Amino acid sequence: MKLPHRLARLLAAAAFAVAPTVASAASTLGYIYVGPEKDYGYNTSMDLGRQFVEKTLAGTKTLHVENIPETAEVEKVMERMIRSGANIVFATSYGYLDYAIALGKKYPKVAFLHAGGLKLGDNVGTYWANSDDAMYLAGMTAGAVSKSGKLGFIAAFPIPQVVRSINAFTLGAQATNPKATTTVIWTGGWLQPAKEAEATNSLVDAGVDVIGEQVDSPMTIAQTAEKRGIYMVGKDVDVSKLAPKAVLTGASWNWGPTMVKLVREIEAGTWKPSHVRGDLKDGTVVLDPFGAVVPEAVRKSVLARKGDILADRFVVWSGPIAGQDGKEVLPAGTPMPMEQLESMQFFVKGVIGTVK
Amino acid sequence: MAAADALLTGLPVSTLRGATPLLFVLLGECLTQRAGRINLGVEGQMLVGAAAGYGVTALSGSPALGLAAGAAAGALLSTVFAVLTVAVDADPFASGLAVWMLGFGVSAFAGTALVGLRIDGWMPWAGGITPTIALALALVPVCGFGLLHTRTGLRWRAVGESPEHARAAGVTPWHYIVAGVLVGGVLSGLGGAALSVDYTRTWAEGMTAGRGLVAVGLVIVARWNPWLALPAALLFGLAEALSLRLQAADSAVSAHLLHTLPYLASLGVFAITCARLRRRPGGGAPAALGALLAR
Repeated sequence: MKLPHRLARLLAAAAFAVAPTVASAASTLGYIYVGPEKDYGYNTSMDLGRQFVEKTLAGTKTLHVENIPETAEVEKVMERMIRSGANIVFATSYGYLDYAIALGKKYPKVAFLHAGGLKLGDNVGTYWANSDDAMYLAGMTAGAVSKSGKLGFIAAFPIPQVVRSINAFTLGAQATNPKATTTVIWTGGWLQPAKEAEATNSLVDAGVDVIGEQVDSPMTIAQTAEKRGIYMVGKDVDVSKLAPKAVLTGASWNWGPTMVKLVREIEAGTWKPSHVRGDLKDGTVVLDPFGAVVPEAVRKSVLARKGDILADRFVVWSGPIAGQDGKEVLPAGTPMPMEQLESMQFFVKGVIGTVK
Repeated sequence: MAAADALLTGLPVSTLRGATPLLFVLLGECLTQRAGRINLGVEGQMLVGAAAGYGVTALSGSPALGLAAGAAAGALLSTVFAVLTVAVDADPFASGLAVWMLGFGVSAFAGTALVGLRIDGWMPWAGGITPTIALALALVPVCGFGLLHTRTGLRWRAVGESPEHARAAGVTPWHYIVAGVLVGGVLSGLGGAALSVDYTRTWAEGMTAGRGLVAVGLVIVARWNPWLALPAALLFGLAEALSLRLQAADSAVSAHLLHTLPYLASLGVFAITCARLRRRPGGGAPAALGALLAR
């Protein structure tokens, strides 16, 4: 079996000789993280993907470096990885894209996979997943559990991915409580535990009883929410173990299968740089298990809506959607195009805060 | 009205909470500098304090033991700074940076085992006051009185002003300098542990996010006076609480601008006090520190 397989690979390599791929037996993958690999958040989710690839594809070697800022330093780190034998680079933070594209020109035989973004190179592709469906479902849960109808959202920076999460969360909450509002606090940093704790306290003092978040790790907000006796929904990884009373549910990543698929394509020589996008349906995004406090009726209605999403009977980003000022942004029945989604810079009606 | 309520409810205790870790570090650095050393390593000392405090709290279940461990870890790391700057007379700024990096690395390495551990800190007392807030507030008069109104404090200050004159008066300067660095180590370790064990109940790599350095800067705002460390820390705490609460109260001010508030406020006070103290050389800085800067 082995020989024909290899032969097929060689043929594929010959057929795609122009494609910038390396058809060697086992690849060496280089992973670059913007924060600590063990952050119990975004970077941990990427590292779990790396571990999944290593486990699934026998013989694959992986290198990983943490705490690399989104500056020219990442170019040096990528070059070092390539010199150490990496033929596939996973640049797992949003701001690495321009550096990956620049290096892609210098190293045409190396494949670069970047987390998100809308630019491509001859050997630079992107991978990302739409977590909005899961955030919408988490928002539904939040809206149903909240007694005050006042929800909060603590987030790092007003970039499109975060703005989308806030809007999806709010639209979901309004599906179970039409009067629900979301008050947004920006912390101005991905990893600012002191500010995250104080932002949680500020929201509680303002009458908020369920908080969503998109910072590096949900752990500080979850623990502070539990301390103050309110609820929260997580993102990136499930932190219900840390704050079992506070966590209602969350939207977690499951990058492993997407990464394995991409590596297989690159090794087979069939890969063409593109924008690979996963979602709730293909399992790249997971709705976390419900916390004990979520009533049975709420679970049922949320899971029913999840079923609708999986069966294409319901689309989160479909009109009518009104902006913060009440004016229509998307007419009824129209789906939002991907470009508009990935560059979102407005809040929907019911969000309190500014995107500036 | 509702917006004003949202802004003001809990603002005093929020200010205190945010100021507390900083107040520990600020008091410590104040005492270190009064003995004649600037220790930029407090950032690293805070980090090892935060990691050790969190780890011991998770293992023992006792936040009090956690604080003690944080203080011990901070003190231990500060001995590196003491040895470098006293025994081998290395440049204090370079030594401070080295201690900072060392603290970052050691805490990150040891801290990987702590990520995802759960701790139960203290439940706040009435009004939201926690034991670390009470301890930090209690330390202000202890440090203030000790430094400014006792014989030991007088020698301590004398060493910071002029080690030569202190030596001529029969004081052994290095005793006080080492004590100053170690006290700074204990207090910055406590500040780090207060941050991880009480304030956030989190260990995260690099979680101090520059607060140690802010404390070094605030020493100037506090004019090297432990009593003034309290308003300086509160000012920073208030500005930070406001930057978050103004958002919760739906102010139209850009969040980017609000995040500069703590620094703007500190800078403002700094500028005002500098202008008022223009006629007094050094503005209250220990003279031996000035000599360090001038060389």
